[in-house]
Amino acid sequence: MKPLVVSVDFGSLSRRRFLKYGLSAAAFVTMGGVGSMLALRGRAPDVDGLRVLTAHEYRTLARLAEAIFPAGGAFPLGAADLDLARAFDAFLADEPPWNVEDLRRALVLLEFGPVVFERRLATFSHLDADERLAHFTRWTVADSVLRRQAAAALRTFLVTRFYDRPEAWAHVGYEGPLVNVSG
Amino acid sequence: MNAPGMILDASASPLPQPRTVDVCVIGSGAGGATAAWELARAGRDVLVLEEGGDFPKGRLTERENEMYDQLYVDRGARTTSDLSVTVMQGRTLGGGTVINACDVVPIPDGVLRFWQRRHGLTDFSPEALAPYRERALADLSASVPDEDRLNVNNKLLRAGATALGWRGEVMHHNRVGCAGVGECMIGCPVGAKRNARAVAIPGALAAGARVVTRARVTRIDDAAAEVKTLRVRRLDARGYHEQGDEAVVRAKTVVLAANAVGSAALLLRSGIGNAHVGRHLSLQPQLPLSARFDREVRSFRGIPQLYAVTEFEETAHPEHGLWGFRIEPIGVTPGVYASTLSFMGADGKAMMQAWPNLACALLLTFDDPIGTVRVEPSGRLRIDYALADGQRVNLRAAIKAGARAYLAAGAREVYVPVAPPVVLRSEADLTAVDRIDFRPATAPLISAHQQGTVRFAASERDGGADPDGQVYGTRGVYVFDSSGFPSSSSSHTMTPIMTVSRYLTERLLARSA
Repeated sequence: MKPLVVSVDFGSLSRRRFLKYGLSAAAFVTMGGVGSMLALRGRAPDVDGLRVLTAHEYRTLARLAEAIFPAGGAFPLGAADLDLARAFDAFLADEPPWNVEDLRRALVLLEFGPVVFERRLATFSHLDADERLAHFTRWTVADSVLRRQAAAALRTFLVTRFYDRPEAWAHVGYEGPLVNVSG
Repeated sequence: MNAPGMILDASASPLPQPRTVDVCVIGSGAGGATAAWELARAGRDVLVLEEGGDFPKGRLTERENEMYDQLYVDRGARTTSDLSVTVMQGRTLGGGTVINACDVVPIPDGVLRFWQRRHGLTDFSPEALAPYRERALADLSASVPDEDRLNVNNKLLRAGATALGWRGEVMHHNRVGCAGVGECMIGCPVGAKRNARAVAIPGALAAGARVVTRARVTRIDDAAAEVKTLRVRRLDARGYHEQGDEAVVRAKTVVLAANAVGSAALLLRSGIGNAHVGRHLSLQPQLPLSARFDREVRSFRGIPQLYAVTEFEETAHPEHGLWGFRIEPIGVTPGVYASTLSFMGADGKAMMQAWPNLACALLLTFDDPIGTVRVEPSGRLRIDYALADGQRVNLRAAIKAGARAYLAAGAREVYVPVAPPVVLRSEADLTAVDRIDFRPATAPLISAHQQGTVRFAASERDGGADPDGQVYGTRGVYVFDSSGFPSSSSSHTMTPIMTVSRYLTERLLARSA
């Protein structure tokens, strides 16, 4: 009997819509040359211990997290201090396959977003932090529902994980748990 | 009289024997626990199957990611298919009553009369349901909290509404011994909630019911036969993955109480029911609204939700039953709160640094039952829900009202969490709200009260279950949860579900006697 796993709709980006955008991206890649696209992306540093994500996907999410939570400003803590991309990798390891596929595709699309949607000659991870945030912000208001969905899913994950970390609590006036549950 | 039952964790043990029972109850929240209690008290051999784990107060850690992961369906991340609405649903022993805000709001009489008139539920009169509503209130130890239990977040909204001359109320709640931790949505760490886990489940156990957690029912077969066959899979300790071989449970009666999404999904996966199953879903979308004050608010401590602006709520609308909207303060943990703001980068950090001075409310809008639940061939659940034009109008009206209340209470700025963010500093700014289009995935809408999908109706032409809750086309498969509600029952569904579940359970017992 086929296992029936309850769906996780977080990052629900249908295969059909991905195919549509994937084909558009593929056409662009063909015109520009696959080699050129991959050259623009470059080689991501190896990351030990990943369960689901590739090094490239890990880098894309890490760069997005650093753009949403830059070091400095209102308080010093930034995403670079917390390795939220690894938390995402751990989350995906227990997700149903359709969610894993969709969210990984979202990361690929985000990485090539500046090239595909804005005809820039740099992929997401190679933009500076301000450019990355500006590019991602445009996804949140894009005409394409797919880009808005990808933005909503990735942002929600990163925000909830960032502020669940004890290192963040003092900066936002939160004391953390009040009851000693271990006792 | 049955011997006392027990709770068994299926992640660590096989399902108990014997596996042929009088009644199998699927789901242990407000509907399932109440039904199990009454059925066991009447001497029935009852088995409760719950997909979630058991989290008594000692296991409620106040860590939001861990608790949303463990206490909510789909790890707290279930959404509609277009990512417009996050669908919050409990998945733990006690169900949604473990993770709700403890608001006790019975079904208004106007809604029951609407159901009678519009949906042919002639037996659902206010008079017939009154004793069951009173019993629900007693089970919940419902009370109106003292004035000193209102935190600043609740008082500010009340001050604004009062200044504008609006109607409002302090709601009944079901807390006893509340310590004001403020993290009700991830379970009470001091056990102050008089919920299904604290009352009905112990009652059912004492009456002999057996309860199994981490047990997922994947299919119901032989729905029209005297004895139904349930296919059950054990989950692992975290509830992520199925493990071991399929188990079989046989039951003469099946009571579905797995929430309006879960109950419909199981029927659909089982090929049970008519074309109404999965349709008529109501989500009651809620939008968070924040406001910055010069004083400290600390919405995240104290009782999160007590006061409600009821000025714009209609409880006897001739076309919709319950209609309009309510405004209710809310307090949550930092990650979830931050996810409701639409600022990012340095602005996002600055906004969260100001969190202690930010008030927050939920704009709870009533809707028509326009959504659907489906199961795709891959097994993936799909919830479709497109905001109707009238719903957008309702949301904009709610935003304006909430902003006016906060500005009247002295807020410096009001934040509407849409993309791009809308900041309101005076009533003159409210026209900006008219330009919010609520395109999918541009606003953090939340649903905490899913209803419909197997609606009760006097005729098979009009609904998925008869007025006794029996699913059309079956013999003894019932829905005793919010699936049966043909329209929004109340602004908060715990008490309505308990009321209707007990009412239908007693009718079932009376017929079988």
